[in-house]
Amino acid sequence: MKLLSSYIKEMKIAARGFYFYIEVGFAVILLLILLVAVNESSVSKNYEFLYYDMSDELFDVYYSSSIEDGFVEVSDNTSFEAKALSFEVTNEETGAVTSYDFDKTTYDVKTYMMYDRDTGEFNKYLYITDTEEAMIHLSYAEKKVGATTRFSDDYDVEYDYFIQGFETQRLRDLMYVVHNESQDVLMETVNSIEVRKLGEVEILNNRENLVPVMIVFMGSLMGFFIVMAYIFLDKAEGVIRAFAVTPSSVWKYLLSKIMVITTTVLVSSSIIAIPVMGLQPNYLLFYLLLIVTTFAFAALGLLVASYFDSISKSFGVLYGTMIALMIPAFSYFIPSFDPVWLRFFPTYPMLQGFKEIIMVNTDVGYVLAYSGVFLVSGLILFLLANIRFKKTLTV
Amino acid sequence: MFKKILRVFGRDLKTMTRDSMGLFILIMPIILAIGLSLFTPGLNDTTVNIALLESDDAVHIEFIEQFAKVELFKNTADIERRINKRDDMAALLPKGDGYEIVLQGNESEVVEMYTAMLSAFYELGTTKEDTTAQLMSFGHTVPPIKTMLVNMLISITVMMAGMLIAISIVGEKSDNTINALNVTPISQTGFVIGKSMMAGLFAMTSIIVSLLVTGYYDINWFMIILVGFSSMLLTFVIGFLEGLNSDDVIEAAASVKMVMLPIAGSIAGYELLADKWQWTMYWSPFYWAYKANLLVLSKTADWPTILFCTGMVIVLSMAVYILFIPKIRRGLS
Repeated sequence: MKLLSSYIKEMKIAARGFYFYIEVGFAVILLLILLVAVNESSVSKNYEFLYYDMSDELFDVYYSSSIEDGFVEVSDNTSFEAKALSFEVTNEETGAVTSYDFDKTTYDVKTYMMYDRDTGEFNKYLYITDTEEAMIHLSYAEKKVGATTRFSDDYDVEYDYFIQGFETQRLRDLMYVVHNESQDVLMETVNSIEVRKLGEVEILNNRENLVPVMIVFMGSLMGFFIVMAYIFLDKAEGVIRAFAVTPSSVWKYLLSKIMVITTTVLVSSSIIAIPVMGLQPNYLLFYLLLIVTTFAFAALGLLVASYFDSISKSFGVLYGTMIALMIPAFSYFIPSFDPVWLRFFPTYPMLQGFKEIIMVNTDVGYVLAYSGVFLVSGLILFLLANIRFKKTLTV
Repeated sequence: MFKKILRVFGRDLKTMTRDSMGLFILIMPIILAIGLSLFTPGLNDTTVNIALLESDDAVHIEFIEQFAKVELFKNTADIERRINKRDDMAALLPKGDGYEIVLQGNESEVVEMYTAMLSAFYELGTTKEDTTAQLMSFGHTVPPIKTMLVNMLISITVMMAGMLIAISIVGEKSDNTINALNVTPISQTGFVIGKSMMAGLFAMTSIIVSLLVTGYYDINWFMIILVGFSSMLLTFVIGFLEGLNSDDVIEAAASVKMVMLPIAGSIAGYELLADKWQWTMYWSPFYWAYKANLLVLSKTADWPTILFCTGMVIVLSMAVYILFIPKIRRGLS
């Protein structure tokens, strides 16, 4: 009963201040950004510079089938301005170095749009220059791959790739072999390879893919920050000290703070998730994970706050922890970058858990297992924070 | 006047060293820079991961290892367990005379295509020795993802400078020192400049050290400092507004989230929007600062472009400042 009245009192105070409304306003802005500015499918910005060391007739033959099949589309010419540059280019096999010295030049280049052979989606722009020097100047200035294509005396196609230098050895090796076989032979072999999928897993579109990130970083993780701010405010105003002379226990006061934050996170996360995801997610699991993760991070915030007496003094721990907890976002957005050490960050299973929930075939076991882990961790942290606050009542 | 500004600056400096917040704002970007230097090589090497059986043909394993990160497993069950984990990994398992690709089902098409191509190259007997290609290198050593992350770090540091001001002002308000200012010889402008100097110095120092830590020694330092200070103008204005409009640190902290929005939006806009839509971000000074920093870090900047970007940052920041002068003055009174 005392807990409930503490919570109601805290909610009334929160409703009087701006914080609650800022959170709600922020969620509405994020939702608008997701719905208006984020495309459901990726828009490729890839481009490369190409020079064809061959006659116009051969060039037309080279591209004719791709254009006829719709994989390449001719677009209007594009103008590029490349500044004055002097640099060297090293042949990786022979070690021969060629020096180039360019004046500031504006190039008008042929522009082809290339589409994916399987999906038909736009893949990249091909900018075709009139001279090899123009291609080299532009690929250096724009930091993009460049290539010269020519026919040998035996009518084999030869390539000179102009790479930046930071490409990995694996990528370089791939460049050596990627054009060894004719496109038709290669695609025939590729298409003959059997592909077995262990399950039909729904792939999230760009917009849906951002929802777990926003909920984790703008919702659950913010509980850590905000609960500390609340505690420091109460410390400054002597509210915590006043608890020593009230019949209410400290844990009820601490839990009421967490409940206020959880309420705010529930409202702001729902504003983002429901309009974007509709009925797709398992909302029971969604709110379960949201509540336990917010509880765990808010409990961590309480424990950290118990060691400091102002937000200024705790700022280093607060800032450092929050930045460190954001690192798993790299793995989330780049799935092939998934080092083992990253999986120990609590935000890693949070991101994956929310992603699981919003997908059609949710791995319920994974979400429940981590909900349990967060709940137990949160309870331990809360217990420790309670012991600290009971001991000190101030710091 | 200058002496009084320096006195405000000196007092803030002393306060900041006392409660360590300023020190952390100085040190944290540097720690993050060290972290970036350690893990960006892994980020740059993100070719496809492929699972193979230990019992697979050694020649096949060696061939695939040339082009992809390979993990070996004892049996098919172990491979399937690995593939079902949350990252992107494909497997090539022997089937009949050739290989089949095994996927979890949620991998991007690139993973499937890349694996299929490698398998096809092996089947066709394609080797590097048969190549008709030559590689010519420009000799750049810094991958663009590192430049992008370091640029984001600069943006975060600039934002933290604004936050430093906001929280400092909230502190002044709770101590009632803002009111006391009205009976001291320092003018409101002097107070604003003095406070900004402290945040500017902390942020600029950590930006410079972070750049050195991440290996950007041979960039144009004049350009970086120019862009750095100009991009801080707006965060200072926002910092003052946040601080003066917030009654407590909770409101100041929540307002910081609002500042993150244009910063994150500007970065996302610059990196993700197609060229024809870039104009939609021209309103944001953070967009121009991010663009200018990227040009400097990638060593493709020239003075006219940097001056133009810096000019845009200053003009847009001043517009915001002029718009909010009455509010800042009211708050300081």
